[in-house]
Amino acid sequence: MKALGLFSSTAITQRVVPAVAGLFVGAFLVGPVLAQAPQQSVTMWSHWPDEQSKRGFIEERVKVFEAATPQCKVNLQFIQKADLYASVKTSVRTGQAPDIFWLEPDEIAFAKSGFLEPLDSYINLNNLEDWARQSWGHNGKVYGLPVEAYTVELYYNKDLMKKLGVTLPATMQLAQAQFTDMVKKSAAAGITPVASGVGDRPYPGAYLLQEVLLRKLGLDDYRALLTGKLSFNDPRVIEGMNWVRELVDAGAYPKSFSSLKLGESHYYFHTNPGALMFPIASWYTGRAFVPAEKGGQPQGFQLGLMKYPALNDSKCPECKTLAVGGSYVMYAKSKNKECAGKLLNSMATVENGNKWMETVLLQTGVRTDPSRIQSIHAQYFKDLQERSVGAKFFIGTPLHYMNGKCGDTFSQVLNRAFPAGLISVKDAATQMDAACKATS
Amino acid sequence: MANSTPSSGPKPKWRQQLDALLEPPEADSRRTSWPTLMLFLAPALLVYAALTAYPVVRTFYNSFFIISDASSTEFVGLAHFVDVFKDATFLAAVRNTAIWSMVAPFFDVATGLLLALCLYAGVPLSRFLRVAWFVPVLLSYVVVGIMWVWIYNYDWGVVNVVLRNLGLGHWVHAWIADPKFALPALMVTHAWKWAGFNMVVCLAAIHSLPSEVLEAAELDNCGWWDKLVHVIIPMLWPTLLNLYILAFIGKMKVFDLVWVMTEGGPIWSTETVSTYVYKRAFNWNTFDLGYPSAIAVVWFFVVIGFVVFFNLLFRRRERLEY
Repeated sequence: MKALGLFSSTAITQRVVPAVAGLFVGAFLVGPVLAQAPQQSVTMWSHWPDEQSKRGFIEERVKVFEAATPQCKVNLQFIQKADLYASVKTSVRTGQAPDIFWLEPDEIAFAKSGFLEPLDSYINLNNLEDWARQSWGHNGKVYGLPVEAYTVELYYNKDLMKKLGVTLPATMQLAQAQFTDMVKKSAAAGITPVASGVGDRPYPGAYLLQEVLLRKLGLDDYRALLTGKLSFNDPRVIEGMNWVRELVDAGAYPKSFSSLKLGESHYYFHTNPGALMFPIASWYTGRAFVPAEKGGQPQGFQLGLMKYPALNDSKCPECKTLAVGGSYVMYAKSKNKECAGKLLNSMATVENGNKWMETVLLQTGVRTDPSRIQSIHAQYFKDLQERSVGAKFFIGTPLHYMNGKCGDTFSQVLNRAFPAGLISVKDAATQMDAACKATS
Repeated sequence: MANSTPSSGPKPKWRQQLDALLEPPEADSRRTSWPTLMLFLAPALLVYAALTAYPVVRTFYNSFFIISDASSTEFVGLAHFVDVFKDATFLAAVRNTAIWSMVAPFFDVATGLLLALCLYAGVPLSRFLRVAWFVPVLLSYVVVGIMWVWIYNYDWGVVNVVLRNLGLGHWVHAWIADPKFALPALMVTHAWKWAGFNMVVCLAAIHSLPSEVLEAAELDNCGWWDKLVHVIIPMLWPTLLNLYILAFIGKMKVFDLVWVMTEGGPIWSTETVSTYVYKRAFNWNTFDLGYPSAIAVVWFFVVIGFVVFFNLLFRRRERLEY
């Protein structure tokens, strides 16, 4: 019978022996591979789908990591911030969140609620700047890898400035009256003085006001204001708000301000219709320093960087906002913590900090060695550094300090309604006090 | 009988009742036994329990807790419900939703009826128009929202461009950026999207009107306006009421369009209860699910209350179908 035939002596010689030998040879060849730890697949969600330089930087780091760590595979996805936040806020509760995801420090509630893994034992914290570590600190632990950091800057179009006949002083900081005149002159010439849009973000409309208030109040009182310990009806705050309202009434912002999205406001500034100034964080480069056909600023665009004006009798004209932006965090319930930790650690090096600055032209919370940085945008980078020489930094933006009702009111009132001229100074201050004092 | 064999003694009462329950009644061939019934019902019931009943029950349960932590909850009793009624943003959202739910359905139904009458009257290109007017119903709210954000754009939106070209530049507005116009602008967009649906329903109802009544009206030299007001609309009344109530209930839950176009702004002028619940649950940088659950529970009872109210109001007059 055929079944018995399998066990006949000939069959054993012809079939079983080669098979067993094959098994041994196979085991010899495959053994080392099998002996290794099973491959882990790390899921990573990142913002910046439309910011090519940042996206390219992250993709390159992941590629290098995968080549150096064969047992770890990374499933990297780029998702718009709003969609990413909506997804992770749901999925962290259900245990379905990715191993690594993108967050900003205003979402420290993730750590407070126990959804994030402390990174202290995974990455070399000595490679992070002290202020950046503090931004992600909670209960003495560090919860985020602060890849992106930024200062709040005031960009301007040098050509339009020349056209208006305005010459900036050597300090690059205009006085209150000079700035007002410039805005009025620009509006009269049919040039939108300040490009800004709040269609999809809760903060850009307040940049001008927040920087003015920071300089007027100084570091301590400004912190007190953001944490509900100083009233928005303080005379100095009201003075700042009155001045911004004067600019608004002079036509400082675009009429489409409320529906203009962040990406569109970049285009509005540098391409069509063009605006004199653009108050935005230094991550301007992420969208602007790409080819014009991909939405970047036109070739030869004369980009300038000036300081925010200081109101008369400002306590700290040299003050400036410095903040941690996009960071990567590890999910507390991740099943691939080993690989996720290795990936984050591989990104947290001085070498990668330098690469980030060279390619993205933006600050980082990872330590850097500026002497080794080379870039085709060296002049821009030099200007950016010069604008911060002698500056006193306030760490964090208003939304890093405000949450819940207070943050929502900031977004609706100071970010949207106030710069659009829809609400009076008194009403805006009263609404902010009502929302923020209750939650302080 | 299956439940009595010669060898067995009398069965206990509970067993007899169980057997009677499990046995298919022979008198009515349309009925079957409970196990068979359950076999067919179980999949649907399981899906319903998992995806509808459980989330509802869980929302009710959550509304009595603060749930902001990954591992712990804090019982707060009725505190969330007390806070809800003191919450200015919630009250603004209720006001906006109420205005939208009460007022907008009139426009929706009127527009649908008007379009249906145009088609019924046989306007030129009526076949094309029927399809064209129905197309917005097939579009998602996201597409509609983005389109209308462009249409309302201050600088280059169609509305303002037309106004400027007509010499009506002083009427130009940032339509969805001004608290006075934002909610009406959204209501217009919503009416545009659903006009086609209302049109189809009205058209079907008009075609099913008894022709002898319409012919009798014509024989009596009834003009088109009188025929519309005194004959057609009264006979369409049940359909129009149903459309109104459908629109009303839909608008009590409106979310997508608002989220895409205004996110509830400016200064909460287009905030609806649904967008506020979503913001509190997922958009604020807090993790508490308890408070948004309390809002959802309150609103659940408000919607149920209105449904009961409409049922009572129209029970004896019309038969509602929704």
